[in-house]
Amino acid sequence: MLTKKVKKRVSFLSLLLIFLVIAVFFILKSLTSNILYFKSPTDIQLSQDIISKKKIRVGGMVKKDSININNQEIEFIITDLKNEIFVSYSGTVPNLFLEGKGVVAEGILKDKNFFIADRILAKHDEKYMPPELTDLMKKDVK
Amino acid sequence: MLDLINPSRIFHWIDKLINFINSIFFILLLIALTFALILSPPDYLQGDSVRIMYVHVPSAWIGLASFTVIALLSILNFIFKIKNFSLITKSIAPLGLMFTCLAIVTGSLWGKPTWGTWWVWDARITSMVVLSIFYILFILAHKLIKDEGKAYKASNIIAIIGLVNIPVIKYSVDWWNTLHQPASIKLDGTSSIHTSMLLPLMLMLLVLLLYCALILLMKYKTEIIRIKRKNIKRI
Amino acid sequence: MIENFISMNGYGLFVWLSFAITFSTCAIIYYKTYKTMKKYEKEFAKELEQLSVSERQLVLEKSRIASQVLASYNKSI
Repeated sequence: MLTKKVKKRVSFLSLLLIFLVIAVFFILKSLTSNILYFKSPTDIQLSQDIISKKKIRVGGMVKKDSININNQEIEFIITDLKNEIFVSYSGTVPNLFLEGKGVVAEGILKDKNFFIADRILAKHDEKYMPPELTDLMKKDVK
Repeated sequence: MLDLINPSRIFHWIDKLINFINSIFFILLLIALTFALILSPPDYLQGDSVRIMYVHVPSAWIGLASFTVIALLSILNFIFKIKNFSLITKSIAPLGLMFTCLAIVTGSLWGKPTWGTWWVWDARITSMVVLSIFYILFILAHKLIKDEGKAYKASNIIAIIGLVNIPVIKYSVDWWNTLHQPASIKLDGTSSIHTSMLLPLMLMLLVLLLYCALILLMKYKTEIIRIKRKNIKRI
Repeated sequence: MIENFISMNGYGLFVWLSFAITFSTCAIIYYKTYKTMKKYEKEFAKELEQLSVSERQLVLEKSRIASQVLASYNKSI
């Protein structure tokens, strides 16, 4: 039923698509370190020769009860529940910068446990709900 | 049965459909806006800025869906050379570009108060920009290439190449660390959005889909009139 | 109440701007599409008028689309 021309086009297309998928896969794979918007504390612990003057971003959760504000200086701990990193920052933070919520800090690594940030971004999760509901949930926990 | 696909029949139905959508559109829009801006609750974390979601998310979905449709029709068109499909893809593309750009702009307006920045080059946002570039290339192929057959061929190829980008956008938030949050509504239908916020989201999606239908029907009608005019003497 | 609705607890600028941008873009595209459609309708009607009386009658009798387009054009002027 299919004519020869149609068959030719189908095979050309499938070859093109397979080639494209493989090419894109390898391009993305080799670029992974550039595509990653931030590194987790664990990534930093595991990596070698990361301490340099180059700017990097560290992301994770702000550890509960770790935020310490004196004057303009804000200090807190980023955790991914396995490893932690201490962050020092001076400046304003976004509204959504809160304990137990996601955060991305941009700056320079002093050593594997100490990070000096010059920009703080908040990362929120995919859950959306009205405030009354979270109050109820907190009561349940208590 | 054959009567249904008679062009004058189709024309008649297009007119009826346009009138029908026009008659319900503003009521639906008003209901959706009331839910989105007044009746739905603020978010526990983001406060009222969460309302931007009601325009941002449907726009992004429509932008993605339009390109998927264009690419699939382009594949069929490339194989079977069905001229109607090129006309359809050609009229969907500007709408898709518009909604992709709207998703990027509203996303930027949402990012400033919540993330603390207008713009970051994370995987999700960058891949959305790539999508808009594919849309622009697709439209440019039609605008710049004078020979109709060649223009169709070029735009088909652009759409098929761009198809590879679609899963990259969808899964960018799962494959890499991004500032953008993961999907709230999964493909399997589960959602982490509370019902009181899901309702305005779905209403807004319905309104914007109806809008797309309206624009496409009007474009289709224009196209029929244009063709009829060309051979008015031969009718 | 109203003040709260406008200020959106401080997020007003962002919320209103994103809604305004979305719907004004939609309105502009709608208007442009509508105008193009009307333009073609008009040209079609003009072309019909240039035909001789008998030819026009033949076209209108044979093609329902032609009569519909003409009717919708006559309604809009």
